[in-house]
Amino acid sequence: MKLLTDISEMLQKGKINDVKALTQQAIDQGLEASVILDSLLDGMGNIGMKFKNNEVFVPEVLIAARAMNGGLQLLAPLLEAEGVEPVGKVVIGTVKGDLHDIGKNLVKMMMVGAGFEVIDLGVDVSPEKFVTAIEENNADIVAMSALLTTTMTNMKAVIEAIEEKGLRDRVKIMIGGAPVTESFAKEIGADRYTPDAASAATTAKELMM
Amino acid sequence: MTGKERIIEILSHKVTDKIPWVPFAGIHAGALKGYSAKDVLQDGDRLFEALMEVHRLYQPDGMPVVFDLQVEAEILGCELAWSDDTPPSVKSHICATEANIPCRCLLPKETDGRLPMILDTMKRMKKAVGETTALYGLICGPFTLASHLRGNDLFMDMILDEDYVKDLMSFCTEVSLKMIDLYIGSGMDVIAVVDPLVSQISPNHFTELCHESFATVFAYIRSKGVKSSFFVCGNATRQIEVMCKTKPDGISIDENVDIVMAKRITDSYNITIGGNIPLTTLMLHGTQQDNMKYVLDMIDRISHDNLIIAPGCDMPYAVPFENAIGVQQAIRESEQVRSILANYQTVEETIEIDLPDYSSLTKPFIEVFTLDSESCAACTYMMGAVDAIKAYFGDSIDTIEYKYTEKINIARCKKMGVSNLPSIYINGELKWSSIIPSKDEFIQTIKEKLN
Repeated sequence: MKLLTDISEMLQKGKINDVKALTQQAIDQGLEASVILDSLLDGMGNIGMKFKNNEVFVPEVLIAARAMNGGLQLLAPLLEAEGVEPVGKVVIGTVKGDLHDIGKNLVKMMMVGAGFEVIDLGVDVSPEKFVTAIEENNADIVAMSALLTTTMTNMKAVIEAIEEKGLRDRVKIMIGGAPVTESFAKEIGADRYTPDAASAATTAKELMM
Repeated sequence: MTGKERIIEILSHKVTDKIPWVPFAGIHAGALKGYSAKDVLQDGDRLFEALMEVHRLYQPDGMPVVFDLQVEAEILGCELAWSDDTPPSVKSHICATEANIPCRCLLPKETDGRLPMILDTMKRMKKAVGETTALYGLICGPFTLASHLRGNDLFMDMILDEDYVKDLMSFCTEVSLKMIDLYIGSGMDVIAVVDPLVSQISPNHFTELCHESFATVFAYIRSKGVKSSFFVCGNATRQIEVMCKTKPDGISIDENVDIVMAKRITDSYNITIGGNIPLTTLMLHGTQQDNMKYVLDMIDRISHDNLIIAPGCDMPYAVPFENAIGVQQAIRESEQVRSILANYQTVEETIEIDLPDYSSLTKPFIEVFTLDSESCAACTYMMGAVDAIKAYFGDSIDTIEYKYTEKINIARCKKMGVSNLPSIYINGELKWSSIIPSKDEFIQTIKEKLN
């Protein structure tokens, strides 16, 4: 349907006003909110793939996410009324001692764009704060980011805190960031490492299956 | 050819006798002397002492004096968060709440922020090693500085408010020019413009909003008769070409960029490329042999003209010293290291090694395992320390050097489980790995064994 394709395309161009207008038009035409949502998610998914392939960069992703949020705001009450549930709940944050959040923000946007509800704890997040957020939100996934070689070790502390609270079986653990590797994920007992934001969203969906 | 000549020549795109080696030991310099990142980034005496140790152990052709991209932001009023084992991070962005341009009255002066300490250390280093070693003055690139001032909103501004970004970049360029004046005035031979965030924007955005700033900066450095380098971090594969168009003398990349591919582009612009030893997987977590092998593979894969070998970026604080020593040895003594690695793979249990019965020694037995004390600087110093101890204690102790260049010694290392060189073992037990003990510490240790 052209209207839905247009929503996806305008989102990819970061045109927030167009996305909002087209989303409203789709609502007015009586399309189901979940169907309109799919067009937003399709647009964000495409942006994610282009980002992964080095075809677009941080500014384009941020501006697309802004456009997506414009559409999502209009859809939110309708989705709730239709009983559309998010794909899953993700608690995300940059670990203690680390103030870098560009990567974490990109992952958050991609996960929202994949249909997740994301609880963003920000930067410099302590293990206790991660654990509390997992419990309070009944999270399915916890996603941790670190840019520094010295702070990536704090990911292990979060996993230990999760284990101590007896939550390990309830939550999947994902990690990422410039110095983080697959072997580091194995070493500290994380479930998944992903090298970029788009892969993080795809992997999160796989974990929910 | 001195190291300094080598760096200047390679950045002038001329032939050098060896591939130049520039270890980016910023905060890692502190680790060599037991100082924290904060210690060496705030205290000139400790910084100088740590840099001299870098110079002594790693024998660089060129070396940075300070690797801290937050110096300018701090001067301009951003608050920093300090750490013991990483450089500081910018905690507050002075233009975060309002898209404004800082007052030009804030442009850096030699009395601002940490500059008095930094400029003084630069002068001390120039006097101490500047005749033979090229000193790098690192400035924060204008784009990354703009992000320090504005925060992440800068990325949105690039699409929503281009004029503001142009104005902010123009201000940050002025900051860069002031820093260049100050660093050149303190004796720096190379100005490195370090801009990690360039990898996060499209080539088109770079051309539209950043090209002019960087081109201005590099032209200015050139006009001062000093060499320049453009450091980037992250996957800058798509940005290398537009970076070349700003005309730096060199470009330095990290492991996220394929250096073979990147060198094809930099060669086409006759720009020197530097890099790209992986920081975490290899320098921090790899073995000495992994590091040696990586360097040999690199120098086998690319032409040696217009090439500097360096870590991908600022070395992590806790990089084992022996890994950087291994890198240096692989660059300087490539063929020797090649045969060491080949022998390591072929030497198996066929060579019978009889280890001493360490439990029934009649006197302390000091065994020194080296790459080769004649060619590896750290090994030379370690062997020198052992020779001095032998002279001190005379016949009451025994000492021996095992050079890794001989197969039989590789077999011995394998049997004893020696993994890092140089190392000192006393009575069959590892005592020091890469760290060269002070004479007092060494004497005390032996006295305890004698009692």
